[in-house]
Amino acid sequence: MEIIMTIINGLSIGGTYAMIALGYTMVYGIAKMLNFAHGDIIMVGGYTIVLFFPISPIIGVIASVIFCVTVGIVVEKSAYKPLRGASPLAVLITAIGVSKLLQSSAQIFLGSEPRGITFNFGNIQIGSVSISVLTLITILCSVAVMVALTLFVKYTKTGRAMIAVSEDRGAAQLMGINVNFIIMITFIIGSALAAIAGVFLVFKVQDVGTTFGAMPGIKAFAAAVIGGIGSIPGAMVGGLVLGFIEAICGMVPALSPYTDAIEFAILIIVLLVKPTGFLGKKRREKV
Amino acid sequence: MKKTIIKVLCLVFAVVMVLGCFTACGGGEENYAENNTKIKIGVSGPLTGGAAMYGIAVKNSAQLAVDEINAKGGVDGVMLELVAVDDQHDPTKVSTTYTTLYEGGCQLFLGTVTTAPGIQFKQYALEDEIFYLTPSASGDDIPSSDGGFQMCFTDSNQGTASAKYFNENYSGKKVGIFYKADDDYSVGIKNNFVAGLNSSFGNVVEASFTGEASQFDSQITLLKDCDVIFMPIYYTPASQFMKQGASKVKASAVYFGCDGFDGIDAVEGFDINSIKQEVSYLSHFDSTSTTGPAADYINAYKAKYPDAPLNQFGAAAYDCVYAMVAALESSDEEITATMSAQDFAEILKAEFTSDDFVFHGVTGECVNGQKSTITWNEDGTVNKRAVKYVVKQKS
Repeated sequence: MEIIMTIINGLSIGGTYAMIALGYTMVYGIAKMLNFAHGDIIMVGGYTIVLFFPISPIIGVIASVIFCVTVGIVVEKSAYKPLRGASPLAVLITAIGVSKLLQSSAQIFLGSEPRGITFNFGNIQIGSVSISVLTLITILCSVAVMVALTLFVKYTKTGRAMIAVSEDRGAAQLMGINVNFIIMITFIIGSALAAIAGVFLVFKVQDVGTTFGAMPGIKAFAAAVIGGIGSIPGAMVGGLVLGFIEAICGMVPALSPYTDAIEFAILIIVLLVKPTGFLGKKRREKV
Repeated sequence: MKKTIIKVLCLVFAVVMVLGCFTACGGGEENYAENNTKIKIGVSGPLTGGAAMYGIAVKNSAQLAVDEINAKGGVDGVMLELVAVDDQHDPTKVSTTYTTLYEGGCQLFLGTVTTAPGIQFKQYALEDEIFYLTPSASGDDIPSSDGGFQMCFTDSNQGTASAKYFNENYSGKKVGIFYKADDDYSVGIKNNFVAGLNSSFGNVVEASFTGEASQFDSQITLLKDCDVIFMPIYYTPASQFMKQGASKVKASAVYFGCDGFDGIDAVEGFDINSIKQEVSYLSHFDSTSTTGPAADYINAYKAKYPDAPLNQFGAAAYDCVYAMVAALESSDEEITATMSAQDFAEILKAEFTSDDFVFHGVTGECVNGQKSTITWNEDGTVNKRAVKYVVKQKS
């Protein structure tokens, strides 16, 4: 019984991490940059849904996708594009700067008090076990997004162009691919995913503050690395692995205080044993 | 010959440097208040961030007390002035906030609003030998016989008082604890609570979280069958837990908190009536009072700050200002605006630890419309009667 509950909790927590990790991994895989502001786009999405929720939840979801995509485009155009070709470290620092900028802006415009909604999806009773409807929706959506992204990347022209940009940006450009356009598309997809993740996380936590996306963002980044950063199914696997670890730790009072430490320790172990993550591609280094 | 001159020069420089060091060390005893025209009261608290509701209430209430006292002619004719700085409930910010207050000429200190920054504050305060009376930093490490006093109950007292209440009222029920494992406040209360429970309770279920962890699936699974859930945490995670557990935790359960629950019914986006369970806490102030000294304070506060958070942190800050003023007035020393923080500390310490000093305030149990009776122990902890406050009945 407890094992079943732990598994359900793991799916519930892992589902949200998987959703966030998918966005991380998309942007990293194609633009080859760690978008540390991803967690804060989630925060933007979370605030949007909370603000629009009293009007209509559906409008709220649409508004958060539109708003996050807009923020994503603005950030990409103004902060990341001028640094195309700069050292990866400069881009990384810029991403952290953007993250802080978004958090501070949210604090200026919306205040520092967390805002919340009260909303209950209800539970489905299967035998003696009850599962939250939200958990089921989160998991189904993550799987659907994962499948859709995989198909999109494999079978559409834009998707294949993405793979080309990912593998060799210079060669892709020579083949007539508009690299800037492809990276822009990647950011649009990444931001839309962040918006959806933000919506799910808000429905789960029912509260949003200015650092709302920071910790889930970092954990999802760890999930993406554990699964193999750049790999779409890997993000899903990594997210669920972290979710299960968190659920198991939460059920054992002695381990519970060390949940975060254990999660990141597992990240380190995975990096030591299998640096490319569970499903990451091995890249041959040309000498 | 030349070498000797160089040697002498070296020696002179060395002596100068050593002397310079001494003067620098002596700088610590400088009186930063020598240009003051009013007595400055300093407080460091979270004016932004997740615990802002407390800091803002403290700032407003202290200002209210200062204005009232000034309107009546100040302390021995000297006016008061409040200086409030933002530490965001972050201990690393305290070195800046403390310096801003101390070197800015503050003479009386309300210390910090919350415990974690308060531990930092205490170190600096003891070094400079100043006196502080904190409204709400309830940590066991906050009070000090060297000049650290509290208006609120100490954590161990809150844990022990709650356990006593459980022994008397919830005997034999299934008790759960939901605490924050990386917070001194939470762990401190929890340990004393567990130690204080009698044997009728059997196995107590413990669930914890750290950081801003906000997905409480596992914790809810562990605690959902408990009759009473003791929650020594602040209102933000508490409201998240209640919302997430709304349809999972037993409807007849009681959520029982400590002073950190204060203001839980005012959390934005949290409709406390959507929670079926009872929500209560043990406190030293009932912010719904309609009669007596507590209501007088509440009315004055609401008139001045109609939209600001109102809670027991503010009431405690209001009492803190009045208590320090009462101590200054009952002392025989003459009070001036340019006295150093250390001079004030000496007077206050002597008064607060003297057997004759009794303060009557708005926090603590006010019987028959009379102000409560508050005294302090030599170790800086407070004596007054607790109040149980039901935020919301079971529905």
